[in-house]
Amino acid sequence: MNLFQYVSENINKILGLFVEHFFLFLFSLIITTIIGVTLSIIVTDEGMEKIGKTILSITGAAQAVPSIAVIALVFIYVGIGKFPAIISLIVYSLVPVIFNATSGILSVPKGVIEAGKGMGLTKNQILWKLKIPIAVPVIMGGIRSAATIIIGTAVIASVIGGGGLGDLIFTGLKLNRLDALVVGAASSAVLAIIVDLILAYAEKIITPKGLKIER
Amino acid sequence: MSSDTNKKENKEAKNTEGQVKEKAKEYTIELKDVTKRFGDDIAVDHLSLGIEKGTLTMLIGPSGCGKTTTMKMINRLISLDEGEIKLNGTSVYDIDPVQLRRTIGYVIQEIGLFPHFTVFDNIATVPRLLHWDENKIKKRVEELLDMVTLDFSYAYRYPLQLSGGERQRVGLARALGADPEVLLMDEPFGAIDPINRLKLHDSFLEIQEEIKKTIVFVTHDINEAIKLGDKIAIIRDGKLVQHADSTEILYNPADQFVESLLGQDRSLKALTLKKAKDFISSEDVLTVGKDASQDKVLKQLQEKNQIIAFVLDKNEKLVGRYWLEKTGKKGKVEINYDEKPIMTEQNNSLNESLSTMFSSGEQLLPVVNRRGKFLGIIRLSYIFDEFNK
Repeated sequence: MNLFQYVSENINKILGLFVEHFFLFLFSLIITTIIGVTLSIIVTDEGMEKIGKTILSITGAAQAVPSIAVIALVFIYVGIGKFPAIISLIVYSLVPVIFNATSGILSVPKGVIEAGKGMGLTKNQILWKLKIPIAVPVIMGGIRSAATIIIGTAVIASVIGGGGLGDLIFTGLKLNRLDALVVGAASSAVLAIIVDLILAYAEKIITPKGLKIER
Repeated sequence: MSSDTNKKENKEAKNTEGQVKEKAKEYTIELKDVTKRFGDDIAVDHLSLGIEKGTLTMLIGPSGCGKTTTMKMINRLISLDEGEIKLNGTSVYDIDPVQLRRTIGYVIQEIGLFPHFTVFDNIATVPRLLHWDENKIKKRVEELLDMVTLDFSYAYRYPLQLSGGERQRVGLARALGADPEVLLMDEPFGAIDPINRLKLHDSFLEIQEEIKKTIVFVTHDINEAIKLGDKIAIIRDGKLVQHADSTEILYNPADQFVESLLGQDRSLKALTLKKAKDFISSEDVLTVGKDASQDKVLKQLQEKNQIIAFVLDKNEKLVGRYWLEKTGKKGKVEINYDEKPIMTEQNNSLNESLSTMFSSGEQLLPVVNRRGKFLGIIRLSYIFDEFNK
């Protein structure tokens, strides 16, 4: 086995799969974030606290469901191809986004919200000026887990036609080609690390300064 | 539009003030037969209460008696089921709740400072909601920080960098941000340790003397109610038991419930009604400048036949104390210096000042205001004289 030889001979194919994997990830993460955060905002609205708490326990438990089960279910009900793969990625990664965003918003101190309301902030102002900025570190934590989960799960989703680096890994498995397997696994690991570093930096930038102060 | 509204309100406020003199029953806040139910429980039961302009009214009662609910109905954080609440003659239900709340200052026990806002931005919250000009906001924040005796350097700190007492001061400054006529306070000093609470009480009373807001203050601490309140409204099971000024409550409790609330030591509590400033004197008090030499002070003390001299800086802030001590042999005296003299604040109640005297063994204490400015002294003998009268 010569890794370098394998890489240099298949560089275009590898890069193509890497890019495909990346876009699969990016698209799923964006949709998941939008759906997840919106849903969390709705269930944490005033008067919805009970639903929010229920959602919290459901998503808490749902984190224990293996990704392969979700992919299998989507395969059964939706079929094969890119679209079902993306659906399974979104469904699976919604769990940490909703869990974190909901718990983040619910844990904004009650006194802060009451003071805001008592001083005459509108509902929207309470959401965008108080709840969201204060919950940002927790929400971002959920998005970061979702990102890592999507990159890892996308490998498995290639069995239902998702494409990406999973193709390389499963080809390696089927043909007993260790070089393909290692390159595929290492590439997705590198992608996961880079993405997490970028998101960590983003988190640092958008977290309000007053929340970062050590007591 | 905000400044117009403000002007109009000020005018209206002045009108109300004028009318108060003519007919005594013009209230800033008026509750009429207010009732609130939570499910089958009745939280507030046909409660009527009139609050006059510029008074500090304490709502007190056991927990669950409906005092907080009553207060929160004024700014419509809780809606009422029956009755009417009027603010300067207008039903609060005729005003948009968001606009209404912007004209009423609000302080809660948790303070609820916005952790991601600086002190400046916290205090500027309501002025910004009202679209004040930034220069005007900056001036107002400066003014308010000065009022609550925080240096302007605090403006760019975050709440997490403040102590509990400092947060409470910022909370008060924030509530006063847009200079509301009415202030609602829900156990604002409840979470503060006893020593700082006393200090905050004193500063708060001094500030209220300056600003004369109409304040509704919820507490469950009878000592706090007696010390701070102009008027006390005692609530039990959602009903108003007694509403009168503190002296009246202490000397003429309406029923056994009020008596039990006041406790066994009613006559001692009456001491709380007198403040240190009622006994201030500047007779026979020697004060010296910060740069006066020890020898000079010693000479002055001996000339005036005194044993204590207070050291003031150029802002008349009390910064130290000289005192003479006989060193036994040959009647020789020695001069000593205290960098942190024991003192009492002008709004300390008499029992607090007495307690400071007893615990320090001093027979006279310097009296200062919340900024540390020296106002005079209080002597144990003055207090006894007062009681012998």
